[in-house]
Amino acid sequence: MNAPGTTQSTEAIARARAGDSEAWGDLYREYAPAIFRFCRRTLPTREDAEDATTDVFIKVKDKLHQYDATRPFTSWLYKVAANHCWDLLRRRKIRQDKETEDLDTLPLEHPDADQLEQLIEQRTSEEVRKALDKLPSRARMALVLRYYSDMSYDEIADALGVRRAFVGVVLLRARHELRQALAGSGALAAGSAG
Amino acid sequence: MSDGKMQHLDEMTVLLYLEGQLDRARATEVSEHTQSCASCRTLLRALERESRLLTRAMLEEDEPLPGRLASFQEAARRSMQWVWMVTFGLAATGVYALYTSYIEPVQSRLQDAGFGGTNLLGLLIFQGAFWKGWQSMISLVEILALLTVGTFAALVLRRRLRRGTMLAAMLVGMCGAFLLPAGSSATEFRKGQDVSVTSGETIKGDVFLNGDRMSVDGTVDGDVFAFGRSLDLSGHVLGDVIVFAKDVRITGQIDGNVRTFDNNLTLTGTIGRSLTIFCDEMKIEKTGKVGRSITSFTNEFSLDGHVGQDILAMNQRLDLRGQVDGGIQLKAERLTIGSAGQVGGAIHYKGVNPPEVSPQAKLASAVNYEHIEKMEHEGGRYYLHRLLWSAAFILYGLVLILLMPNFAGECVKSAENVGASLGVGLLTIISAPIAAVIACVTFVGLPLGILTFLVWLVTLFTAQIVFGGLIGRWILGPTEDKWGRVARMALGMAIVGVIVPLIHFVHALDMIVRCAVMLWGFGAIALALYRRLATPSIPIPPPIAA
Repeated sequence: MNAPGTTQSTEAIARARAGDSEAWGDLYREYAPAIFRFCRRTLPTREDAEDATTDVFIKVKDKLHQYDATRPFTSWLYKVAANHCWDLLRRRKIRQDKETEDLDTLPLEHPDADQLEQLIEQRTSEEVRKALDKLPSRARMALVLRYYSDMSYDEIADALGVRRAFVGVVLLRARHELRQALAGSGALAAGSAG
Repeated sequence: MSDGKMQHLDEMTVLLYLEGQLDRARATEVSEHTQSCASCRTLLRALERESRLLTRAMLEEDEPLPGRLASFQEAARRSMQWVWMVTFGLAATGVYALYTSYIEPVQSRLQDAGFGGTNLLGLLIFQGAFWKGWQSMISLVEILALLTVGTFAALVLRRRLRRGTMLAAMLVGMCGAFLLPAGSSATEFRKGQDVSVTSGETIKGDVFLNGDRMSVDGTVDGDVFAFGRSLDLSGHVLGDVIVFAKDVRITGQIDGNVRTFDNNLTLTGTIGRSLTIFCDEMKIEKTGKVGRSITSFTNEFSLDGHVGQDILAMNQRLDLRGQVDGGIQLKAERLTIGSAGQVGGAIHYKGVNPPEVSPQAKLASAVNYEHIEKMEHEGGRYYLHRLLWSAAFILYGLVLILLMPNFAGECVKSAENVGASLGVGLLTIISAPIAAVIACVTFVGLPLGILTFLVWLVTLFTAQIVFGGLIGRWILGPTEDKWGRVARMALGMAIVGVIVPLIHFVHALDMIVRCAVMLWGFGAIALALYRRLATPSIPIPPPIAA
């Protein structure tokens, strides 16, 4: 995860931890857009994302002393954001996803790669975003954690509360659901033996 | 796997390989296989492109960072909790001051004139129909003590609860504290098919009864709470009686108040203080006595016994053949006063039919009769009227959502913050017309005053739609889609449309619910408007590369 201005950030983090409000302001301005977008991608509405962004930074400010400076700041920031958003979704009981036992039943198949390539080539970023909005919370969260926040499998497992061995399955299932949403049919998601 | 008989890799393995999650040996195996198998190579490439597409789609700036997030607003956000609390406190103090300085003096003058206690608000809230100790206990010290405890609880729970939830919990707690009768030494619970306080038995403290057939033949030195099918009270209750039952018979003596929600009530015994009743049919027989006033929301009310003070009633009909020492304030279809009827105070009767008064009846003054066309909730016309109103509101809501989809969403979102919406609603719903009047009479000018008033009026109508939208959002979940919002609003309004006729039989409840909905929606609109005006959007800075 390469955040722009990492060196300056390290310095700003150290100053913010020491209680420098100007440094905190700098940190906020630097990272707020990314966290807002993260919340926007994981939560159902823009208003939710706005509230969540503020709440995440309130938490970050409160917990800044817990941050391990040897690790990337953005990883920690996204971890706080992920926990907050996931907790929010859980409290609202809109985690419609199936439980982990279902994950075992994911078929090990070899889908039609040409068809898949074709589907991906034809889709724009906007279409992908719209399709993402249609996904169940866990699927969407998993994809955001992996492909937006660049989290490791361990971090994703921790954030979503699943076993590490299931993270790949969660991601693959999420991709299938995304393809279904993109294609408007289950043809590709089911895959076809090669 | 990579032998001559080519077995394709499954998608899971390819994905894990791509993401660097396979162990070295397995990764080498997959790598070798993809070099020789075109199909698996294509799959690998496709998954890689899919990953890139996902990252690109998510990182792209598609909407600006909202203005209110331009700078860190922790202080504002946290202090808002206290703003709402202060708002509530001020509003409550305002209402209390209004009551003590205007309503109470007028009421006492009315009482001096021999006609008091028939004001619905006064009866229900200030005269303690639901809280027996109000008059004797209310004092500044107690309010302060309550506020201190509430604030302390809020401070303790501050981190665990969100603003709205906390305020709502506090208010509910305070209301609950007010609604409960004063504490007693002990409370006894009795549950079963037949529950009773047998003759000769004495209970020191309150008793909760829950059962099919409940009876109190003995003595209860406290309050009686009864929830069940029927209650027969032939004993002696020194405190209050609160009943939710189908049939209630009171043949004994109750020194306190009676508050009851039931189907039938027959009173042949004595109630020392007031009676508040929501029921279908109430009979106060010749030997029945109510020491103070009666507040009645019943279908049929026949009175042969004695009432010590006034009667406030909204009934289908009232047949009076007994004695009322105070006055009567009645809204009903029909009023008949028989030859044995005696009324000591004034009789104000709003009704469909003229009063039928026997010439032998002893009345302090003639019946002050005001004719009304129909009881508002009568028959099919009422439901048709409700249906048309609901449809009109849905249509109005549809237009509003289509015209201002984002603002509509913001209003509903604001409404989720219950405490803030109610607080701001209470404040703005009162202050806006006052501001309009001030604008009209001062130099600011008449047009601005009228405009303010019109906006206020429109907002008042729109409040219900926001509430409908909120109900829909609770049921179907949040949405960003314009038509999704319309559907949620329509669903919510339909539910409101069904619930309002159901509760309209209980007039006071109907009124309270309507007021709450108005305040809620009004506050939500005001909040959304405030946020809109206070925070313009700003362009989004470049993202953090993942």
